[in-house]
Amino acid sequence: MNILTIPARNIRRKPAKTLLLLLVFTLGVMSIVTLYQVSLVVGHNFEKKLTAFGANIVISPVRETLNIGYGGFQMGEMLVDFTYLPEEETVAAIRAIGLKDRISAVAPKLVTMARVGAEAVAVVGVRWPEERGIKSYWAAVGRFPEHEGEVLVGSKVSARMGLAEGSKTTLLGREFTVSGTLYETGSDDDTVILMDLTALQQLMDKPGATSFIEVAALCAGCPIEDIVAQLRGQLPGTEVKALQHIVNQRMASVHFIRNLALAVSLVILVTAGAMVGLSMLSAVNERKKDIGILRSLGFGKGQVFAIFCLEAGFIGMLAGLIGYLAGFAASFKVLELLALGEGITPSFSFVQLLAVSLFFGLVTVAAALYPSWKGAGIEPSAALVAL
Amino acid sequence: MLTAKNIVKNYAVDGKVVPVLKGVSLSIAEGEFVSVVGRSGSGKTTLLHVLATLIQPDGGELHFGDHDLRRLPEKKLNILRQADFSVIFQFHHLLPYLTVLENSLLSCMHRMKPVPKEAVERAYHCLGRVGLADKADRLPGNLSGGEQQRVAIARALVKSSKVIFADEPTGSLDKATGEQIMELLAGLHQDGMSLVMVTHEPEYAKLSERTVVIEDGMTKR
Ligand SMILES: Nc1ncnc2c1ncn2[C@@H]1O[C@H](COP(=O)(O)OP(=O)(O)O)[C@@H](O)[C@H]1O
Ligand SMILES: [Mg+2]
Repeated sequence: MNILTIPARNIRRKPAKTLLLLLVFTLGVMSIVTLYQVSLVVGHNFEKKLTAFGANIVISPVRETLNIGYGGFQMGEMLVDFTYLPEEETVAAIRAIGLKDRISAVAPKLVTMARVGAEAVAVVGVRWPEERGIKSYWAAVGRFPEHEGEVLVGSKVSARMGLAEGSKTTLLGREFTVSGTLYETGSDDDTVILMDLTALQQLMDKPGATSFIEVAALCAGCPIEDIVAQLRGQLPGTEVKALQHIVNQRMASVHFIRNLALAVSLVILVTAGAMVGLSMLSAVNERKKDIGILRSLGFGKGQVFAIFCLEAGFIGMLAGLIGYLAGFAASFKVLELLALGEGITPSFSFVQLLAVSLFFGLVTVAAALYPSWKGAGIEPSAALVAL
Repeated sequence: MLTAKNIVKNYAVDGKVVPVLKGVSLSIAEGEFVSVVGRSGSGKTTLLHVLATLIQPDGGELHFGDHDLRRLPEKKLNILRQADFSVIFQFHHLLPYLTVLENSLLSCMHRMKPVPKEAVERAYHCLGRVGLADKADRLPGNLSGGEQQRVAIARALVKSSKVIFADEPTGSLDKATGEQIMELLAGLHQDGMSLVMVTHEPEYAKLSERTVVIEDGMTKR
């Protein structure tokens, strides 16, 4: 028996009213939690889909260049030494960083020059599944290469050299069949011939070598800077560059979803808070007599205030607790209905549960502040005479 | 012990000042039983509330022992209300959601600190004295009016108050029950408590050592 007994008992006295209030607030909390969880997952999946439209991190060997000029003749930047990244090790290192869950695709590449007759053309060796993972917008006339002996030709190369589906061409001393040509992409892919990475490594006599590696990282949960820093730590002697414009573009979309969820949550929160405030306000009027009794028995204004706030806070905390659990469960159902659940699922966190119930406890207390203050301010006799 | 001098109290009704107490003086000695009588609307309840510090008068002086009650800080007043003063209203003195036992201990429940065991034992004892030992765990809702009144008396007993203010304690009770309550109140007086009782019944006023008549906002000699 202490001061907590009073609000606790009063809550129990009016189960219908308490339950109704609890229900409204719990539903509010539940919708907010569901919205939050769903927006997290949707945002994540959305970003994951966006990664199919290109990488956002590029890893390349540190290149030493020298600006050469001699006798008034400028040769421009010359590469001092052509270095390569070891494919297997580098990919393994990328996949082993602390934030490895955020790495969605790793696409190694090897670039070289080749001659087709009199013309020079860039040849790029790729790992087809990875490459097509980050370039889902690719479309080909014909089909994509299915084995080492086939190449895919960029649209400009195709036009310039007359290479089309079914053509044969000799690159670096080996004959290849063109399986298809790429529709114009507006990117560098239009001016190159793409082939299997292993085939190119063999032709160049550089087994396991790559020129650079493109990485598609998911930045919704953490800043890209963290991922880049971890990659740098894992890959000394390489240059790790984030393509900021792509990152920002993507985050803007993801943030839009989150901000939308936040705005709706705020509306729900204010509505539920107003309900609690209203109910407390009527409770104070209803309970003037109780206040008079308490005040006549030596309860201070602060204590009367505390009793009302505690009562509201208790409902808020309970609603937060139930609402979080219900919202968590509901988010699975919603994601299932929207068929968005694949990949990542809502993550349960005990700390979050506590934080949510504490937060909503505070919200209800805030909503009850004015009514409680009003109640506490009633003079003891005024509260009794008003009967 | 409790002295009121020239107490003035006005109410504002529709912007007009309505005088209710126009200079009431009254003094209650330690252990004295004073009854207050007067017509309905004469200001008896107002006077009782002024004496019990439940309302601030607009003028006059109010002393309890060495304390100047009109200038006592709120904190000290609360301590006074917790222990020394007890008010027994005509009705509505119990919180309907607390048990009889909890209601009798209410003045000890203003802190986070649990009510001490001794106080709980004392409360059981006092409830026994007013004949409610077997109803300690009931809610006020299923008690009769007389029983509710007895809980309020038990509460004053638990506090071992110095002064008890009772506002028509038998007003809403039938004759037999009213007599029981009066017996209990007289018992408190016998224990050495001061008792100020507003009543309509001349018969009960006779039980007191002194009767004060309020008429037209003044005490009548
Ligand atoms: N809070 C109040 N506001 C305005 N008038 C009041 C208030 N309380 C009492 N009164 C008036 O003061 C007068 C005295 O009331 P009260 O002290 O309750 O009388 P009694 O208890 O003797 O019947 C009555 O006319 C009543 O209407
Ligand atoms: Mg009265």
